[in-house]
Amino acid sequence: MPLIPMTDSLLRVRDLSVRFRLPEGEVTAVDHVSFDVAPGEVLGIVGESGSGKSQILFSLMGLLAGNGRVSGAAHFAGQDLLAMSPRALDHVRGVAMSMIFQDPMTSLSPYKRVGDQLAEGLIVHKGLSRRDAGREAVRMLDRVRIPDAARRARSYPHEFSGGMRQRVMIAMALLVKPRLLLADEPTTALDVTIQAQIIDILAELAREIGTAIIFVTHDLGVVARLCDRVIVLYGGRIMEEGPAAPLFAAPAHPYAKGLLHATPRIAAPLTPRLETIAGAPRAGGAMLPGCPFAPRCDQRIDICQTTPPPLKAIAPGRLAACHLTGETA
Amino acid sequence: MLRFLTKRAGDGILTLAALVTLTFFVMRLAPGGPFSSNRKISPDILANIEATYHLDEPLLQQFLRYVWGVVRFDFGPSIRFRDYSVADILISGLPYSLTIGFWAVMVATVTGVTLGILGALKRNSIIDYSAGVIAVIGIAVPIFVLAPLMQVYFALTLRWLPVGGWGDSWRNLVLPIVALSLPNIAYISRLTRAAMIETLRENYIRTAVAKGIGGRRVVWNHALTGAVLPVVAYLGPATAAIITGSIVIETIFALPGIGRHFVDAALNRDYPLVMGITILYGGFLIVFNILADILRGWLDPRVRNE
Ligand SMILES: Nc1ncnc2c1ncn2[C@@H]1O[C@H](COP(=O)(O)OP(=O)(O)OP(=O)(O)O)[C@@H](O)[C@H]1O
Ligand SMILES: [Mg+2]
Repeated sequence: MPLIPMTDSLLRVRDLSVRFRLPEGEVTAVDHVSFDVAPGEVLGIVGESGSGKSQILFSLMGLLAGNGRVSGAAHFAGQDLLAMSPRALDHVRGVAMSMIFQDPMTSLSPYKRVGDQLAEGLIVHKGLSRRDAGREAVRMLDRVRIPDAARRARSYPHEFSGGMRQRVMIAMALLVKPRLLLADEPTTALDVTIQAQIIDILAELAREIGTAIIFVTHDLGVVARLCDRVIVLYGGRIMEEGPAAPLFAAPAHPYAKGLLHATPRIAAPLTPRLETIAGAPRAGGAMLPGCPFAPRCDQRIDICQTTPPPLKAIAPGRLAACHLTGETA
Repeated sequence: MLRFLTKRAGDGILTLAALVTLTFFVMRLAPGGPFSSNRKISPDILANIEATYHLDEPLLQQFLRYVWGVVRFDFGPSIRFRDYSVADILISGLPYSLTIGFWAVMVATVTGVTLGILGALKRNSIIDYSAGVIAVIGIAVPIFVLAPLMQVYFALTLRWLPVGGWGDSWRNLVLPIVALSLPNIAYISRLTRAAMIETLRENYIRTAVAKGIGGRRVVWNHALTGAVLPVVAYLGPATAAIITGSIVIETIFALPGIGRHFVDAALNRDYPLVMGITILYGGFLIVFNILADILRGWLDPRVRNE
């Protein structure tokens, strides 16, 4: 426990695990993950497809699939999100914590005007009248730079491009001025040319409102530019965690190294999926006895396959889960 | 929306015109005629009769005469019921069929949608299983089995309701309406259940949940539209079929509707009556499909732009 700084964190996640029941048995998607997010901080979570990034966010929002079970604790502003009554969780989701999803094309209702979809949260949670909520919605659409916002608020989602829809999603998420925003790869589904715009709008508004962000992404360029701290996730476990700049400058964990190698230029806006690490990403399945990355690790030693490496401090504020760190790093 | 409406109406009129034409020629091309029965009729009399029904005119002339009649809802005299015009027959039977049909559609829609939604929300609950059983019975057991059973139980055994016939009381309507709506309740509840389950898996429902607006609001405000859209599409043709009467229901419950003419008229080669009924049914089909489209367009903005 002393490994993780006991700051006055906004979100304190401890031993978060997510398991899914399947006909052929149980799979662990997230395995004893602990981290903190300070108010206003931007935390990046990176890792290959299937490493459990989305499931971490879903479990915090109470959005896990029906066959999913969560364990551990996630204290948000003092209350445990995982132990809350549904009503209490609805309140938190409504006013203090919101989420932007990966696919803007399907994440808005096709049957409702965009303005109404935005206004709904304000009506339900802040008791605003339809008119006032509508006005707030238009103002927010204007803030995410949707041209002619007053008219566009009366349009339906299918009349918007993907980028515009994601702006709508951002507006919707930030409308209630949440203290924490969960952003799940908000730009991967979008055209490369507009990804940067969307990220900029999101970062600017969040900073203004003072919203902390957990930013899940494949795009290491975005992480380097935006995030204060980074978590590198593999096979549902934290491989390495630390402040963004030093972690990028000198990654300690072999997996983090491989990940950064796979991205030659950190500042490049577009990052290929991290397929250049040899071997296939670990698919959710039976947990390995040792380090989940061991089968693909070119530095593995015997102990890697038998004992899971603990997450330990390697420098002030930096953690890594590798038997070799301290010796070779 | 206006463009959508005019286009649908235009399509409808064209379809109706095609239907009118097709009915005429199919009927004329079918072998045999109303008077080519086993009974020997002297050529003179036959010629006379054919003249009365304009069957001696060239086909084109017959066709034009017929079209002009259809426009005025005049299909000429019935061949079998000599003293009545087809329009008389239809107009006298229609109120009965329409009344029973209208209520059957209402009952089927409200009950079916409710059962479907409850089933989808409480999957594998008692409600869900009961709705499933009703559906299987409604779909698998034909009306001509169910309706007499209902008569025996509710009318003869319990004596709650009349066995049949058309009276002044609403009680005469209950059994026929229930019998007519049962298969549709079954179908609509299955349709709604499947659509609701599918809708609840949509990403935009997850978004709605994430807004913390509460489960009830998620279902009624966000999921309901997706769940009823397939029902609306089904109701277009189904309503047309139901309100033009069912020969089975009208026979079993001794109701003077128009449903029973469907089969009779065709068997008797009563050309004018067959064509009258076909066009009436076709007209209803087109009108209710347009209404269903309008409703769909109102619910789903993407339909309007198709
Ligand atoms: N409903 C489910 N049932 C069983 N397994 C699931 C379910 N949902 C997710 N998983 C598994 O959980 C693991 C983690 O999934 P997750 O969605 O968090 O990946 P991710 O890191 O977000 O990947 P991506 O970058 O592709 O979005 C995957 O192996 C996935 O197969
Ligand atoms: Mg994901």
